Amino acid sequence: MEILYLLIPLSVMLVFFILGGLWWAIDRGQFDDLEEQGQRVLDES
Amino acid sequence: MHIQVHGLPLEAERPDRVAATPVARAAGAADALELIDDPQEWSAFSRPWSGDAALIESSVVVAGMQCAACAQGLEAALRAVPGVLRADVSAGSGRASVVWSKDATRPSGWMRAIERAGYTVLPANDSAAHAIRQREGRQALWRWLVAGLCMMQVMMYAYPAYVAQPGDLSLEMERLLRWASWVLTLPVMLFSCAGFFQNAWRDMVNRRVGMDLPVALGLLITFAVSTAGTFEPQGIFGREVFFDSLTMFVFFLLTGRWLELRLRSRTAGALESALNRLPEAVQRRTQDGSFALVAARRLRPGDTIRVLPGQAFAADGCIVQGETSVDQSLLTGESRPLPLGQGDDVIAGSHNLVASVQVRVLRVGDDTRFAQIVALMRAAAVAKPRLALLADRLAKPFLTAVVVSAVLAAAFWWPSDPQRALMVAVAVLIVTCPCALSLATPAAMLAAAGSLARAGVLLRNIQALEAAARVDTVVFDKTGTLTSEALRVDLLATREGISGERAWAMATALAQHSLHPVSRALALAGASAAGPQRWTAQRAVEEVGQGVRSWAAPGQADAPAVALRLGSAQFCGVAGQDPDTGHIFLSDAHGWLATFSLAQAVRPDAVSTIAALRDSGLAVYMLSGDGAGASRAVAQAIGIDRFESGRTPAQKLQFLRELQSAGHRTAVVGDGLNDAPVLAGADVSFAFGPAVPLARAQADFIVAGGQLIRVAQTLMLARRTMTVVRQNLGWALAYNLACIPLALVGWIPAWMAGLGMATSSLVVVGNALRLSRGLALPGPA
Repeated sequence: MEILYLLIPLSVMLVFFILGGLWWAIDRGQFDDLEEQGQRVLDES
Repeated sequence: MHIQVHGLPLEAERPDRVAATPVARAAGAADALELIDDPQEWSAFSRPWSGDAALIESSVVVAGMQCAACAQGLEAALRAVPGVLRADVSAGSGRASVVWSKDATRPSGWMRAIERAGYTVLPANDSAAHAIRQREGRQALWRWLVAGLCMMQVMMYAYPAYVAQPGDLSLEMERLLRWASWVLTLPVMLFSCAGFFQNAWRDMVNRRVGMDLPVALGLLITFAVSTAGTFEPQGIFGREVFFDSLTMFVFFLLTGRWLELRLRSRTAGALESALNRLPEAVQRRTQDGSFALVAARRLRPGDTIRVLPGQAFAADGCIVQGETSVDQSLLTGESRPLPLGQGDDVIAGSHNLVASVQVRVLRVGDDTRFAQIVALMRAAAVAKPRLALLADRLAKPFLTAVVVSAVLAAAFWWPSDPQRALMVAVAVLIVTCPCALSLATPAAMLAAAGSLARAGVLLRNIQALEAAARVDTVVFDKTGTLTSEALRVDLLATREGISGERAWAMATALAQHSLHPVSRALALAGASAAGPQRWTAQRAVEEVGQGVRSWAAPGQADAPAVALRLGSAQFCGVAGQDPDTGHIFLSDAHGWLATFSLAQAVRPDAVSTIAALRDSGLAVYMLSGDGAGASRAVAQAIGIDRFESGRTPAQKLQFLRELQSAGHRTAVVGDGLNDAPVLAGADVSFAFGPAVPLARAQADFIVAGGQLIRVAQTLMLARRTMTVVRQNLGWALAYNLACIPLALVGWIPAWMAGLGMATSSLVVVGNALRLSRGLALPGPA
């Protein structure tokens, strides 16, 4: 079970990586309007 | 805190960076505030307040308000500014309306007061207001996601401690798990909880008690105890850790706040979409006939603008070139696109759908129908219902009592068990947050107002929903409500040998030469009733108030023309007719040809509306200024058995007073033009009709479209709204009363307190959300 001493810190790092990705996505406005982007496909202009 | 001013190019600075450096902004903010004192600037979000010319009503967006208590504090701060007469703040829609005197203060004066109270203020109805809403939305999502993600992982680390048998978990392993939990709780405390700490700090600095103070205290105590348990297990706080409870609590709380934010933007959606409906820039025709882009505020009556398909009209005007379809649903509730061509009027805020048109501007800015509607909706959004005021008043003493009782409970348990004492205090602080109590009324009312606005019913005064729910008698003022303005013309009889189609064709030919309302109605009806026959009239002469005489011939060539007369019995030389029956006659050189009857057309949905009102147990009366015969005909056609005819406005009011003194609560439906005193005397008033003069209408509800059924639907919705409000208040009160004793004796752990509080808020908000589904057809429930 010694591997846990490596895996638990790794999992903490992983959470921080995911949080960083979320911050990046939110800051670029990817969650601002969940409806519009889907409908844009149908917009010809 | 900083101020963004309309028209200033602040986009160059990223909003989040701006917020992060308040000190650097402070010097610039003062200059920005001075700029807004220019009447050109503040007139964009202000309008004269009724009564005094020196009084101005301004509408601003206030960011950072969480609850009713914040709104109350801000109102007090605003009223303390010399020169501010009235301040209405709505935490629900994040808007404030301030009435101030031009002589005593400047907008920067009271805006500084908002700023000093710790909130960000923006002039309403500009792009900067939108930017701040977007930032609030992103921030809420970020905080919620951080809490959610970290909560899941902290649960994972906490799990072994719950299931492990003694000896399974080595000391080092346990310490590692706790250390990892602590590291992942840090972002929750730093990012997710930042809002609670900021609000609590602001409240403390301003010596207020807000909803976030108990929450922030609870969070800090829990985190401190758990940190001590992690790094110093032998300390006085014991070795227990509560990272899982803490993160879960924050997650539940933020879920509630986030959903509330979404509900708020959804119910205030109608208002917001109205405010943002006008384009910022328009194409105006220049001297040489080309088009140049100018700011919408620079438009003046008389300008010609080009509006492309997909754009909204920036001003009221008249189409001078082109044909298109226009969506006016926001303004009239009419959902079908309206075909409009040259010479037709367009209203600001409606959408051009099909083709490019040129419009000559007639009215701009505050004179437009759109501006009047928006002003009405804003006023309704900030006016507070009576029940909400009660909740506001109760919030402060309640919260003070909560903090005091938490301290007392902690003091009681401390000697025997310090750790338990702290957790009891935390549970009390968290479980009693009266969020649900203060959300109960505004959430329901906002949801209902949003539904009404989407259906084209404008709520002038949100209190009216309460009154409308108690109405038991509906009084219709006939003209313009039950009957439409249009007249219905029927062919009664013709001379032997003359076909109906021929009579129609002859009459239509003559009627086309007159602009009298009766003639126009006859020509309209004749266009379809005459079939393929077409007559043309030549040398038509109209004798005012009598009729039209003319030579007329069938459409075919070489047919001889005959002399025809269309008009009253006397004019046409028809003997033995009662002049008061409302009949129109057609005659030629040989005498009488045909008789047409004239009646006011009953609105198509009048019958179903009356039936729906009856089914709901409401008494229905009809008042009319017309003669008894005409009134009886209409009353019978739509199924009203109680009607009063030949009444003057004063007599109508008298009739209403009698009803009221008999204990009835009355709603009066009128066209808003001729019946202002009756409307003003009613418990609840509806101004009905497509042509309601909004600025003058003093009615509580304004039904802008032509659908009478909306009146019945509004009354039903008001009843449902008050039911929901009562359910909400009852639930919130019961929850708080049940949980406080349990928390005081220590039976509720912190995580359960968080779950309970979030659930009670969600129940209230979700219950209110049922009202925003729209207006149901009132059935025989």
